[in-house]
Amino acid sequence: MIRHLLKLVWNRKRSNALIILEICASFLVVFVVATLGLFFLDNYRRPLGFEWKNVWNVRVGIPHTGSGPGDGGSPEQAALFERLLREVRSFGAVEAAAGTAVTPFDQGGFGGSWTIDGKNVEMAIDEVTAGFADVMGLKMVAGRWFQEADSGLAWKPIVIDRELARAVYGTADPVGRPFGKPEPNERQYRVIGVVSDFRKSGELMPNDNFMFRLTDLRAPDVRTPSNLLVRVRPGTSPEFEEALVKHMQAVAPDWSFEVLPLAQVRATSSRFFLTPLIVAGTVAFFLLLMVGLGLIGVLWQNLLQRTREIGLRRAAGASRAAVHRQVLLEQMVVTSLGILLGTLLVVQIPVLDLIGVLSNRVFASGLLFAMVTMYLISILCTLYPSTLAARVQPAEALRYE
Amino acid sequence: MIKNYLKVALKVLGRRKFFTFISLFAISVTLLVLLVATALLDNVFATGAPEVHADRMLGVYRMTMKGPENTWTSPVGYAFLDRYVRPMAKLPSVERVTITTAAESVVSYLNGRKIQSSMRRTDGEFWRVLAFDFVEGEPFTTVDDENGRRVAVISETTRQRFFDGRPAVGKTLEADGQSFRVVGVVRDVPLLRYSSSADLWVPITTAKSSGYKEGWSGNFSALILARSPADLPQIKAEFQSILRGAEKQIPDPKSFKTLIAGADTLFEGAARLFVPGPPVVDPAIQLRAALLALMLGFMLLPTINLVNINLSRILDRASEIGVRRAFGASSRTLIGQFLIENLVLTLIGAGVGLALAAVVLRIFNASGLIEHAGLQINARVFLYGLAIALFFGLLSGVYPAWRMSKLHPVQALRGRSA
Repeated sequence: MIRHLLKLVWNRKRSNALIILEICASFLVVFVVATLGLFFLDNYRRPLGFEWKNVWNVRVGIPHTGSGPGDGGSPEQAALFERLLREVRSFGAVEAAAGTAVTPFDQGGFGGSWTIDGKNVEMAIDEVTAGFADVMGLKMVAGRWFQEADSGLAWKPIVIDRELARAVYGTADPVGRPFGKPEPNERQYRVIGVVSDFRKSGELMPNDNFMFRLTDLRAPDVRTPSNLLVRVRPGTSPEFEEALVKHMQAVAPDWSFEVLPLAQVRATSSRFFLTPLIVAGTVAFFLLLMVGLGLIGVLWQNLLQRTREIGLRRAAGASRAAVHRQVLLEQMVVTSLGILLGTLLVVQIPVLDLIGVLSNRVFASGLLFAMVTMYLISILCTLYPSTLAARVQPAEALRYE
Repeated sequence: MIKNYLKVALKVLGRRKFFTFISLFAISVTLLVLLVATALLDNVFATGAPEVHADRMLGVYRMTMKGPENTWTSPVGYAFLDRYVRPMAKLPSVERVTITTAAESVVSYLNGRKIQSSMRRTDGEFWRVLAFDFVEGEPFTTVDDENGRRVAVISETTRQRFFDGRPAVGKTLEADGQSFRVVGVVRDVPLLRYSSSADLWVPITTAKSSGYKEGWSGNFSALILARSPADLPQIKAEFQSILRGAEKQIPDPKSFKTLIAGADTLFEGAARLFVPGPPVVDPAIQLRAALLALMLGFMLLPTINLVNINLSRILDRASEIGVRRAFGASSRTLIGQFLIENLVLTLIGAGVGLALAAVVLRIFNASGLIEHAGLQINARVFLYGLAIALFFGLLSGVYPAWRMSKLHPVQALRGRSA
């Protein structure tokens, strides 16, 4: 049966080749859009690792710090920042406050690449003050979070997330262990605790390896944080924001302050990721509609040309259903060939390791989704032309010419 | 002859309405997407208010400082621009130079309401390099800037937000904890006009502290207005030689040895954003190639689709072609005829696509996805669209036409095609 179908397809190889190519290209389009969507969906289901509700991010604009080479800020600025933290905490509506270099959900950020035991480990890094865990509601799974007193240690304390712990230490307990080798004239990093997750880039992005370093506002070489995070009591009115900014402005007249609730940063960040997906999805939808209509037309025309062949089959006793089935199965063979070609192209991605962040599961689901979609479109487009073909009267068909 | 072909083309279109519909649908959707993309690019890179002199304007937008171990890329610092770029105004081929910060988000509180605006700090020359459309008042001047006067030019949207759209000149508003007296109101600038857009423009010297005056990296860029577009290459070369001289004066010579920057057109400036390192190939060429590849990649599927449909249509007309062949029409004539038919179809599709694009752009503008986007189909976008349509028509017509011309007359007359 299959051999027979393949022969039928081969007989019309020129026109079928173009259809195969078209199905292959559509398959690729569906695969890309579906995989992107599934990638986001897969990430969205995992725990975020922090609480963003009722947290406000205050972007602190300090004239000329941290924005250029050899420009790390000054102890005076750090002292002023510490005073700001103190003053902010004294408001009744504020539950906790901390300084951070990186705003959660924001797309920017620090990164680092370390060679540990011959392995190259990439990670995202944030420098935070000791209050950060309270503000963000981080969950410790081992060890402890930073304390103010940690600044006096002979080594540099760090807190890492489970993902990074697994990447560096495997199943061993990381608490108390040294992390990497220190640079010349630098102190050794040592892990003091592990948090469950910290997906800084938000729900839609994958779990990063993550490392927290402590910002000690009293150290001589400190980099003043560029953001101040505030956890406010639930139900705090937006008017409080104005009072907060006015107060901070009075404490540091030369600095600039901009309050953005994390909810808003999160919305902006989701838009940043989802807008391209929505645009690509819409364009892909219309492309598929175009392909579908095109297929109907082409199949129709092809079958019209085969009227005599079909008529002959009918005359020889084939039922309408049999004609239906033949047309449908032929199209399935063509579709399968297109999908096969597409799959061969697509599997190069994991084989050549082209996109690192794509998990096998997401990749396989994307592939499956694209396959099912293409078969569905194919069947849908064959229904009407094959009905027409099945309606061919043997007498009429044989009379043709 | 051509007239005859056109007649035939239109007749054929009317004959198989379903096929005509699918072809037109495919063509118009394809061109719709490409037209919207073109309008977007046009909005960023081509001449348009207030960047009406974009054809003779260069910008120093970003600079990379490079040393043996360190690389630092950021917008440029005021100190560098003030010392090396501003004096370029004295060159005979340069008309003016202006320095401006990037647009930064600032917050105001008005009667318990929070207003977010983007603010640029700039100088008096800014208003003469760029042509803003003043609906009220006038720009601030170099004298205002030199004296640190707290004055501001605002956009219509800002006027709406702060003053309910009533005349604003002479009134004061508060932004980022400072208060400014409004001296002028301009029409809104699309957010994508990245060297001029903002809601609020104030003098550089009103900055809260004078810290901005130091450092070679910072948040500034400079715009250079040449006397004529022909002067641009010479000014670019001049800037490179100034840059080589500046390398000897780098503030931190131990960490950084070389400077990479350019006096760029809008397009080159954007390209440099994507190619931060020392370019092997001109970034503008790379970006152009990437855009072209993207366009061709997108057109792949619609083209195969249209080729398929066209083939079917042609085979449908096998007997007509057989007659023409039998009466001595050459392959070339037939190819020509079919290409013309296909171009007619494509152009009709392009017309539909253009109308759809106008609707989509209107929806896009209203959606506020990009502030004050103001995307439109202007003459330039229309011409690009026409060129793309012709290209698409040829691309999707050549193979079917060739196949058609190869039909054997006898077989074709019998109505067989395979």
